[in-house]
Amino acid sequence: MNAARLSVAVVTTVAGLAALAYASAVPLPYHPADSAALRLSWSARPERIEVCRTLSDDELAKVAEHMRQRVSCEGVFATYALRTEVDDELIGESVVRGAGLRNDRPLYLLRDYPIPPGRHRVRVSLLRREKATDDTTGNALSSATTIAPEVDTGLYAGRSARELNERERRTRAAIPASLVLDTVVVIAPNHVALVTFNVNTGALELQAGPPPAY
Amino acid sequence: MTMAYLFAKVNMQSLKRLARRLLGLFEAAFTRLYGWRWNPIHQAGTISVLMLLVLTVTGLYLVLCYRVGSPYASVARIAADPWLGSWIRTLHRYATDIFMVAAVVHAVRIFTQGRSWGPRTLAWITGIFLFGAGLVLALTGYVMVWDSFGERLAREGGRLLDVVPIFSEPLSRIFAGDGPVPSAFFFVNLFLHIALPLGLGVGLWLHVSKLARPVLLPPKPMMWAMVGALFVASIVQPAPLGSAADPLRLATSTPTDIVVAWWLPISEQLPPGVAWGTWIMAALVALSIPRFTRRPRVGTLAPSVVDPRLCTGCNQCPQDCPWEAITMVPRDDDRPTLVALVDPMLCVSCGICAGSCAPMGVGPTGHSGRDQLATLRSVTFPELAVTGRHAPVAIVCAQAPPAHLDAVRARGAHVHPVPCVGNLHSSVIELLIRAGAPGTIVFGCPPRDCVGREGPKWLHERLFNDREAELQPRVDRRRVHTATMAFGDLSGTLHAYDQFAAAIAVLHVPEPEAHLEVDPVCEPVPMEEASA
Repeated sequence: MNAARLSVAVVTTVAGLAALAYASAVPLPYHPADSAALRLSWSARPERIEVCRTLSDDELAKVAEHMRQRVSCEGVFATYALRTEVDDELIGESVVRGAGLRNDRPLYLLRDYPIPPGRHRVRVSLLRREKATDDTTGNALSSATTIAPEVDTGLYAGRSARELNERERRTRAAIPASLVLDTVVVIAPNHVALVTFNVNTGALELQAGPPPAY
Repeated sequence: MTMAYLFAKVNMQSLKRLARRLLGLFEAAFTRLYGWRWNPIHQAGTISVLMLLVLTVTGLYLVLCYRVGSPYASVARIAADPWLGSWIRTLHRYATDIFMVAAVVHAVRIFTQGRSWGPRTLAWITGIFLFGAGLVLALTGYVMVWDSFGERLAREGGRLLDVVPIFSEPLSRIFAGDGPVPSAFFFVNLFLHIALPLGLGVGLWLHVSKLARPVLLPPKPMMWAMVGALFVASIVQPAPLGSAADPLRLATSTPTDIVVAWWLPISEQLPPGVAWGTWIMAALVALSIPRFTRRPRVGTLAPSVVDPRLCTGCNQCPQDCPWEAITMVPRDDDRPTLVALVDPMLCVSCGICAGSCAPMGVGPTGHSGRDQLATLRSVTFPELAVTGRHAPVAIVCAQAPPAHLDAVRARGAHVHPVPCVGNLHSSVIELLIRAGAPGTIVFGCPPRDCVGREGPKWLHERLFNDREAELQPRVDRRRVHTATMAFGDLSGTLHAYDQFAAAIAVLHVPEPEAHLEVDPVCEPVPMEEASA
């Protein structure tokens, strides 16, 4: 290999490596410079709408001991009408329900709506579509589902109380029948305003703050 | 169905021709630059393996410094360490890119050389899976960093995976910003990034499992030159670290590795179903290439056959076969030796065995040593009688560049083509010299570019180092020479030819043997007889 050819080979190699370095970190456009978005994101249990009744001793006697449940409930999981308005303009409307084939999984929601940066009035509503007879739904405990201590006996004594606690917990964690967030937000360019459901307060809230650190 | 099959087959052949032309341009350019010995296109497969080694070594260091609880911060710490972390991370990234490029070049080369079907199907299929696994491996590596590019990849991955009902909660939700991304996500990602290389190891073993003497690494000078160049590049140009992932910000651009994520901007514009369909279709097309490129196994593509009457049981052809397609088995007659047996399912019809058999008892139909001698006498000798015996005979591989053949012809040489110089029986050269040819120069392909894998190597051993089926001692070695004919190196071809022509010009002009008769045992044997 003569000197000229060697020089060309070296220069080409250096150029190739430079191309490699560039190709490994090309600034590729992603979002437009003047973009912003309203994001709806949460994960929560839908309400359980059910009718409960207390089984009689005769009915309980017909099932195996370990299968005996004093309170028997049948029903469905609620579905919700989701409406999103920005500056009084409807930008999204859909019916949302729990995940899974029987809709018995939590309701996972993730919606991104591109909107221009700036000040906006945002109204998000999530309203249950099903009507309950007394609007207490099956999760509320009527006297019909209350178990007298004297019948809560046997091999699995205390189960009724545990079921009661579980129902109360589920009721607290479920999405209420009506949720509305009506607020004004200022979204900076290339930022996202996030609306989420706070399980602790049972309300929709706008999350605006520093991003979580990793 | 038949029409669709034919359509696909015809298109595949057109694609093959186009790819061959394009690759030939690059191949010629690299040969001009680095010479055929160091042509990276010929070494694409071994470069891929070398890069896997580099990735493994550098990855070991990186994984020790990585924290799934604080991915970005830990990578930022690595990148900020100028003594080790910065260049190791950069080297890891650059090696990834070279691996991807080399793997694609290797696949295209195998495709254009028609080495993707028949017994090589397993290597092709495993190669596709290796490439796919390598791509996923690279992507998980970028997600590990959790900068804006990693987040972008994760979002797109989540969007695509969410249409496949495999997660109880949609994956995209964890990047929504209403909570920190769980460490479990980074743990699973890290697990994939470590587990996949183990799978790559198994895949690589399968990939070369049908090969005898697989070459896994480039020649040492090339290997160290590549690693050294990458090392210097890693120090001179450290890979940048993008800004930390922020789910509540819309980045205007991301520092994207387009070698591994070239598909990202396209995929982002497509509905997930269409993107999946495109990926699946691409994978199916790649996997079906062996089906559409296969050829009828007749003529030059017919598997080798053994004439058991001629086989002496010397055990040379199993040693020379690059595909381990020949085994020695007990004979079914009363002779005390073993006999060679070709497995047609493993034989790729490269014909290397034809050159390795001294009694010329094995080879593809029509290309055994006896057939080569018959061709020489029936075709080449009459031509030599017309053109004269003043210039050397150039025996060339059928894969040789046509321009080089024309140039050698223009020098007055008589060109005698063979399917592969590895097939060439040394008796052919002997017969040429005894017939009065002043010299014979055999032009083979560059060693790492031989479709028969080891043709030039075995030829040289047989001609000059007494490997079995050796050129007889009575042949004047000064009149025999081997050289390389590479795309893009016409001057090298002509230089080798001119030097040889000058070397034999000073020798006395040989007289053809007066009564040149070929021993009857060298006559072709009809196959019906052989199999009888």
